[in-house]
Amino acid sequence: MIRIENLSVAFDGPEVVKNVSLEIKDGEILGVVGESGSGKSVTALTLMGLSARTARVTSGRILYDDVTLLEAGKPRDKALYRRYQGARMSMVFQEPMTSLNPTQRVGRQVEETLRLHTKLTAQERREKVLETFRSVGLKDEETVYRSYPHQLSGGMRQRVMIAMAVILHPGLLVADEPTTALDVTVQSQIISLLGEINKKQKNAMLFITHDLNLARRLCSRVAVMKDGCIVEIGETEQIFEHPVQEYTKQLIEAVPSRLKERKSDAEPRENGRGRTAPVVEVRDLSVYYQEGSNSLFGRRKRRCVVKGADFALYAGESLGLVGESGCGKTTLSRAVLGMIRDIDGSVVHNTPRPQMIFQDPYGSLNPTKTVGWLLQEPLRARGAIDASLALSKEEMEEAAYNMLRRVGLEDFYFHRRPSQLSGGQRQRVSIAQALITNPGFIVADEPVSALDVTVQAQIMELLRNFQQEMKLACLFISHDIHVVYKMCDRIMVMKDGRIIESGDTQEIFASPREEYTRQLLNGF
Amino acid sequence: MTAQATGKWNKYVTAGLIMTGTAVLLGLLAFFWTPCSTTAMSLSEKFKAPSLSHLFGTDNFGRDIFSRVMKGMGTTITISVLVVLLSATVGILLGALTGYFGGVVDEIVMRVTDAVNGFPSILLALVAVSVLGSGRQNLILSLGIVFSPSYIRIVRSEYLRLRDADYIKRARLMGVGKCRILFVHILPNILPVFWVSVMIGLNNAILAESGMSYLGIGVQPPNASLGNMLSDAQGYLQTAPWCALAPGLAIVWIVLGFSLFSEGIRRLGE
Repeated sequence: MIRIENLSVAFDGPEVVKNVSLEIKDGEILGVVGESGSGKSVTALTLMGLSARTARVTSGRILYDDVTLLEAGKPRDKALYRRYQGARMSMVFQEPMTSLNPTQRVGRQVEETLRLHTKLTAQERREKVLETFRSVGLKDEETVYRSYPHQLSGGMRQRVMIAMAVILHPGLLVADEPTTALDVTVQSQIISLLGEINKKQKNAMLFITHDLNLARRLCSRVAVMKDGCIVEIGETEQIFEHPVQEYTKQLIEAVPSRLKERKSDAEPRENGRGRTAPVVEVRDLSVYYQEGSNSLFGRRKRRCVVKGADFALYAGESLGLVGESGCGKTTLSRAVLGMIRDIDGSVVHNTPRPQMIFQDPYGSLNPTKTVGWLLQEPLRARGAIDASLALSKEEMEEAAYNMLRRVGLEDFYFHRRPSQLSGGQRQRVSIAQALITNPGFIVADEPVSALDVTVQAQIMELLRNFQQEMKLACLFISHDIHVVYKMCDRIMVMKDGRIIESGDTQEIFASPREEYTRQLLNGF
Repeated sequence: MTAQATGKWNKYVTAGLIMTGTAVLLGLLAFFWTPCSTTAMSLSEKFKAPSLSHLFGTDNFGRDIFSRVMKGMGTTITISVLVVLLSATVGILLGALTGYFGGVVDEIVMRVTDAVNGFPSILLALVAVSVLGSGRQNLILSLGIVFSPSYIRIVRSEYLRLRDADYIKRARLMGVGKCRILFVHILPNILPVFWVSVMIGLNNAILAESGMSYLGIGVQPPNASLGNMLSDAQGYLQTAPWCALAPGLAIVWIVLGFSLFSEGIRRLGE
């Protein structure tokens, strides 16, 4: 049993974790949910004795089966922690690529835990590793044992990480966003695996996530964190069905889910399908990618990434493109925008400059410019190309201020730089920049995936409003089935470069034809 | 630079500013005024030890060393700044083009810079000067050529990194012209990295100029330069050590100042 009592942690400034008390019983999975910066990871890292050197525990203590691991005012007992870490408590991280050493075979890395904490012989250690690999669902464990991390898929790497974490049957397993970097279908498998392990090994598990759906599936109890405090804690169903705190309600409300049936826009949205010409028409499009084209003498290989895509997009319509990473959805969108030239088939759009909104709000705005400059740049560019559309300096400023207000930002943001904005605000500026020239067609590539749930909801709302006001056609790329459900009128499912299924959102969700689509919707 | 916005003022900057500041001020001042003439010889004043009338003493022709060090600093710094200006401009232009567009031109430019980098820079500059002839302009030109590959490489790698940044992709989608993308959208983003390399480059240029003048192919006597003063003083190391000490210390002073300053700026940027 793990007890965290009144834990407060501070870095240089104010406390980032404030008076957090948690109790995890053996055999129980406690979920900690919260948005980025809520202090959930810091709590976990402090519990594991892995917090940064600058972190100070300002109050409280951590108990593991009545042994005090950590207490405020006392330095961390490194020797004590080393006996616990790996053997009695272990952790699974978010990024399975960087948490494994790329230069060592994974078998050896998993075996190291045994070498450090047990007196088993080499043969016994090997047996034990293989056995654990089998138990975490790694097929062909001999091959995995000999593989380097880069030879495994993301899901397999995460299974290896889990094997490493549970091989000594630790009493405490901390999983910090273990599925965030994985595809949906894999995500669902890993969650099931964690549940099984918990049942089998009867250990206490702390599951940290920003995804409420996952917490609901896996955890028996949930703690909601905000600004370093626990705002609400209780049985999972209790919290989801009858949240007490306003913030919890907001969080749950923000998660798109089927139960809510898109209430906000129950009236059928007008899309000119069938009546007017499509905004974008893609006919039998195949997209190729040049491999090794960076060297002077290297042999070039032309690889087909997208095969025979065929679709049309009408004004005011939002078309979802779903599929797992590497299926070619981003490549397809780039080709539709004309950013990739090596194509067969045709792309016709009747809009001069389609725009794009990217996933990463930090990378999509030039950090050296002010918001005002960024918003005026599309107008300047348009004026430079077509002199009849050129605006005066005042007109451009006026337009930029207008757009800023329309995306819900105050006037003073005009002079701010991107580094002074939050992720959600940046995404608002991105949207403003993409739409200020009224492009008629945009591609949104995972526009809300990097945002917190409550912000996610706001940005989706904003996008929908713009779509209706501007009659905007939108190609919406996402791996998040919930977001797609909320945003899109039609869906295309992509697998290995082909569109394997497409149709109205409601139809596809109700009765998917393909087995693969069914798997994708599984987590829904 | 957004130095103040991102970091705290530190002692490196202060020390560096003071050291380079005095050197630059003295050097600039020397173009208009020096305590004594830098070229007037006086046999009776020959080899005077440092005193109040001659702060750093006098040399083998009886010329005031303090004045000559001032003048020398001015010459050295001016030449170095011009060298860095030249090579940095070449670096930005070629680096931006090769990094952003890639292709055959990139391959050719890269192989040429590899070749230039393969030789010690002083040696190459020596060859360049012996082909072009000695003198101030040729010295600046040859050092400028020799120093540009390192700037090309730095700028190129930054452009290579940023050309695929999301905000650059978006700029392309907006229809922003190539030239504007290169120099208005990307260039400001590489300045923090570039600034540090300019500072390091200044130091190298100062050392290179001194070295060339020391070897007699840079600034020609009777004009004073820190390098040719050192070379002149070589013969009297035992009898009049101050002749060598003054220009030597001046070089150390400038180079150390620039190093501290650039280190401070780098820390500010973090």
